[in-house]
Amino acid sequence: MSATNEKAPARVVVVGLASCFGCQLQITNIERHLLDVLGQVDLRYWQLTSSDPMPEEFDVAVIEGAVTTEEAVRTVRELRERAGTVIAIGACAVTAGIPAMAAPGFAERAASVYGDEAPEACGSLRPPAPVSSVIAVDHEVRCCPIDPLDFVDTLQRVLRGSNKAVPTSTLCGECKRNERGCFYGRETLCLGLVTRAGCGARCPDLGRPCNGCAGLSPDANVASARAVAARSGVDPARLDKALELFNTVDPSLASKG
Amino acid sequence: MPTSQTVPGVAVAPLRDEGAPLTGAELVRANPYRPWPARITSITDLTATEKLFEFRFVDERIREAFRHEPGQFVELSLFGVGEAPISISSSPSKSGFIELCVRRAGTFTERLHQMQCGDIVGIRGPYGRPFPFDDMRGHDILLVAGGLGIAPLRSLINNIHDERSDFGKVTIIYGSKSPAEVMFRSQFEMWRHRKDFDLYLTVDNPDDTWDGEVGLVTKPFEHLEVDPGRTFGAVCGPPVMYRFVVEEMRKKGISYDHIYMSFERHMKCGMGKCGHCQIGHQYCCIDGPVFNYWEAKNIQGSM
Amino acid sequence: MLYRVIDAAELPALVDAFMERYEVIAPVRSGRSFAFEAVGSFDDIVLDYPTTITSPKKYVLPPRETLFEFDAAANEVADFVEEVTPRVIFGVHACDINALNSLDLVFRDARYPDPYYAARRDATMVVGISCTPSEGCFCHLVDADEARTGYDLFLQDIGGRYLVSIGSVEAANILEGACNPREATDEDRIAFRHATRRRQASFNPDIPNIQEVPMLMDAFHSDPFWEELGGRCLSCTACSSVCPTCYCFDIRDTMDPDGVHGLRERTWDACTSPQFAVVAGGHNFRADGRNRVRHRMYHKLNGFMAAHDRNLCVGCGRCVYACKAGISPIEVLRFFERKGADDAD
Repeated sequence: MSATNEKAPARVVVVGLASCFGCQLQITNIERHLLDVLGQVDLRYWQLTSSDPMPEEFDVAVIEGAVTTEEAVRTVRELRERAGTVIAIGACAVTAGIPAMAAPGFAERAASVYGDEAPEACGSLRPPAPVSSVIAVDHEVRCCPIDPLDFVDTLQRVLRGSNKAVPTSTLCGECKRNERGCFYGRETLCLGLVTRAGCGARCPDLGRPCNGCAGLSPDANVASARAVAARSGVDPARLDKALELFNTVDPSLASKG
Repeated sequence: MPTSQTVPGVAVAPLRDEGAPLTGAELVRANPYRPWPARITSITDLTATEKLFEFRFVDERIREAFRHEPGQFVELSLFGVGEAPISISSSPSKSGFIELCVRRAGTFTERLHQMQCGDIVGIRGPYGRPFPFDDMRGHDILLVAGGLGIAPLRSLINNIHDERSDFGKVTIIYGSKSPAEVMFRSQFEMWRHRKDFDLYLTVDNPDDTWDGEVGLVTKPFEHLEVDPGRTFGAVCGPPVMYRFVVEEMRKKGISYDHIYMSFERHMKCGMGKCGHCQIGHQYCCIDGPVFNYWEAKNIQGSM
Repeated sequence: MLYRVIDAAELPALVDAFMERYEVIAPVRSGRSFAFEAVGSFDDIVLDYPTTITSPKKYVLPPRETLFEFDAAANEVADFVEEVTPRVIFGVHACDINALNSLDLVFRDARYPDPYYAARRDATMVVGISCTPSEGCFCHLVDADEARTGYDLFLQDIGGRYLVSIGSVEAANILEGACNPREATDEDRIAFRHATRRRQASFNPDIPNIQEVPMLMDAFHSDPFWEELGGRCLSCTACSSVCPTCYCFDIRDTMDPDGVHGLRERTWDACTSPQFAVVAGGHNFRADGRNRVRHRMYHKLNGFMAAHDRNLCVGCGRCVYACKAGISPIEVLRFFERKGADDAD
């Protein structure tokens, strides 16, 4: 916990990779708490709000977006070397999210769009991957987009330390706490069966099935979930297909196949 | 809609200020989840990863009211970081302070290790069923500790030492991974030197300076003489250790109900409610953490 | 126990009388199911509901509650008062009343009575109501089909009128003030007997009635069955969210965004959550679905019995619907049934 010097506030940088920058925007949506939060850190760089060069020294690196180029690989490695703590925010950074939909057969896809060589502005392309596949990540703020208060909570964890458990249970428990009936009873596909809890099952609470943006739980039982789908009149192949939205490159999907 | 008035439910407030002495029960009644401020009054480095902290309650009345027995634990609070159960390492016969031996093993203990003398923490307790100290009087004692298992056993060891004449032969077998991880060594060596205890220190990986035993904690049993009719065993260590040590004690003829062991689980409430420390049908925090072997055999999943 | 009879037409007046003094919680329609919620009118209440998604547990043990507030900079507990709302939970089935009675054994124990639970429970009146078992109900197999204590009123539907058991003075006063309770006649008593017989006959006969379940839980503790059952677990904890007797919780600190003030909270937790039995340093005492599901069933069908001489499972059947993987105590009973078959292997 090198970022916990109580005398000097932690120096923080916020960096965006391949993403829509929506999660950085979400940080500004903390609104009434934003000044409180910024007052506890020394914000050295925020890509969304500044075109200054990144500073040499900092304690906490907040990374949004998937790693899609060799340049991005170098960037996150540099961030890891300099930062005591790395926080990945948003589905793109945590699971490679939407960008990862391009990962299967990436070279052919790129070639079909760009021909032999992609324009220089693209950088040197590589199959999209989560930040954690390139460097060790200390904390994750999941979902698409992130919940700004979840980000604040994670930042507090980094600044102060916390022994709060980060559960890997899946979503249905939270959905039941919201006292919602199950989509599978209506022959409707929902990814809550295998998606990591923590968001409070917000989408199902609003009447929309879970699309898996928090990512597959490491304890997800995909085989059992397929059996649930089949028993409920939902083609298990649709469950696999739906998982591609946010979990294409999850290494556990192959092994649990 | 109904006229839903609210009524005061639960208050977390200071203790009554009448100056009268408190009892431990009053601390629980005041609000069982409320930690009381305690000051770090001493920090001793034991190994690269373990420190011994001494705490004194800030309120003198709580200092007086707090009484523990060997094998019990407290819930330690670092506000904002959380709470953690930690076994008491000091002897009950020394009142006014408690010692906790803490390994740096996660965020909470990392933060505690960064703290300084004079810093304030929160403590509630003590909790748990202790070693049966009074039943143990008049007997030989065979204590076996592995690694950090020495922390709860040290409370018992120190208590026995404080009342040494009440006990027969006392043997301590204490196993560590390496010589650098042996805790309280000078104290134990001194007691061995004074013939207070028989002491066997064993390590898995010796270095050039090591003159103790090498191998598992079960190794000294090969040449140990035990009078099973008058011996209590006490065991604490990593989960894998219990079965082998208990087997050795049984081979020496010690009765099921004279072999005591302290189990490690994550006691979050300490009061038999939150469920985290359950072993089978038992709650480690109120039914244990100290169980005898007969009880442990009757708990599914204990060993 | 004192019994009186009131007409069904008097129920709205009874509920209105409660509403004058309390927040009234009752089963209402929620989507395609039912839920206990605060109601503003008798007309919102669905008295013949089969079951609700979750139980009244949430009113005595909220999913998330503050134990106290603190100042992290000073490392001090701040003075804190938690206020509770006086409530009547109207229309509670016998299984759920038995569940509350079991929670009382845990949270109102002599040694460490829980002040938060006690304050809520003391401010909560319970009005029970008779029910017709639905497909997943098996309260009669776990001795929870009758509420012998733990209610202020219990309404037995005996056809156009209710036989009312009166459990408290406070409820008796309200009942007498709002209705015209009369002495039960022989005709009422016979109607009551017929009602209980009808109820007895409507339990799902496909759920096996197994003797000595606690002993069997011990005897078959190492059976490969647990691998099969636990191997299906989705690790979602829906079972404990809906269970009226799952009381395990987590204690954790939550900081305000200001980084100084914070709350010590307790939140529902579940032994089927993968991290539940992790200790400092990372060792997990129940690292897989087999161990977690078996532990949960063991606590429901054996462990609580050992400590409190009653089943923790009340047979309400909620987990039967909530668990998409089909894991429930009924599956355990069926396993024991298979083991008892003449051709069991």
